[in-house]
Amino acid sequence: MNLLDEIEAAIPSLRRYAHALMRDRDGADDLVQDSLERALSRRHLWRGEGPVRAWMFRILLNLHRDGLRQAPRRHLVAIESLPKEPAIPARQEAHMDLREVQVAIGRLPDDQRRALLLVALEGMSLAEAAALLDIPEGTLVSRLGRARAALREKTGRTAPHKKEGRA
Amino acid sequence: MTGPDPIRDEDLIAFHSGTLGKEAHDALSARIAADPDARATLAEWDRQDAALAALYGPVAKEPLPEQLRATLDAAAPPPRRPPARLLAAAFALLAIGATAGWFAAGVMRSPAAPAFAIADDALRAHVTYVAEIAHPVEVAADQADHLVQWLSKRLGRDIKAPDFAAEGFLLMGGRLLPGAESPAALFMYEDDTGRRLTLYALPEGGAENSAFQFLSSGETQGFYWHDAGLSYAVIGDLDRARLRTIALAAYDQLI
Repeated sequence: MNLLDEIEAAIPSLRRYAHALMRDRDGADDLVQDSLERALSRRHLWRGEGPVRAWMFRILLNLHRDGLRQAPRRHLVAIESLPKEPAIPARQEAHMDLREVQVAIGRLPDDQRRALLLVALEGMSLAEAAALLDIPEGTLVSRLGRARAALREKTGRTAPHKKEGRA
Repeated sequence: MTGPDPIRDEDLIAFHSGTLGKEAHDALSARIAADPDARATLAEWDRQDAALAALYGPVAKEPLPEQLRATLDAAAPPPRRPPARLLAAAFALLAIGATAGWFAAGVMRSPAAPAFAIADDALRAHVTYVAEIAHPVEVAADQADHLVQWLSKRLGRDIKAPDFAAEGFLLMGGRLLPGAESPAALFMYEDDTGRRLTLYALPEGGAENSAFQFLSSGETQGFYWHDAGLSYAVIGDLDRARLRTIALAAYDQLI
């Protein structure tokens, strides 16, 4: 597979990630579009180190951070006005209200949301996700812990209070 | 088994992500088995993952939005001869409306908007004659020389019927078609399964040379371009990559 094919192959998961990260479809596809354009314009610099997908994710994460820095409100959408993203299948997730999960994800701090989605949605290993986010694995783990606990709490599924807080 | 120490979330997260070594994994498994809270937490995380997959998984299965598609196509390796700057600038993804004919879908990035006319005409000719059983062509391939001379004379230009044998398509013949300023030529080809494709050529003196542009209408797709005073379109019910190869072959032979 040549580089361009690999770039193309990475796009569906970039879109999935961006849609979860941004929550509004236009903002998400703008982010992927910007990422693609940046990757294409830099592809002659790509030295073939590591998977193309990771490189693309790194670009996307940088752009996401930059975008928030430059225009922190650009893609904020009132949670209540969000469209129900996909038609929600009420099957085995019946015990988990997807709408609630969507809202709870949106309310996570950005760094936790970025971390959680890399691992929980994209299935990356802790090492991969930590490398992409440029943080030590220990930091990633505590972010994941906080994100998962917040998600659990915000979806009304509070954990048993037997442990002391971690952070 | 090691007493009442609760399992730390850090360990559970490593466990859940499946990145522990086998020994550590097995040791923790045993402790988790004896710890209902830990089991509940892991089950909860599984549900979180499933919820995320249900919410956002479908996005990854959607076809790419047109703008992304067009950006990727514009970056594809260019045909050998068209001017590089035009190629970089002009690669538009077109879609056809069910009723209204051609229109630009999404952001029209190409400077070659006037090319709609040829795309429209070529597609209509394709659809009309490809379905024809008794008279798909006016002059059959066994009179190829005559066909080419005749069409060249009527178009006022030297026209050739490119050879697509390497792609498995053989010339069936061709016909003359009306065009806005000059007649147009249509060549038809067929492969060994009966699939047909057409090459449409129309003299258009004013048109600038351009890169390949993609057009599609349902299963029917094609590429069109302008070169040296002629507009061309290659259209078929083939996948995009094959059509591109065929269009490139036409480009190389027609220049």
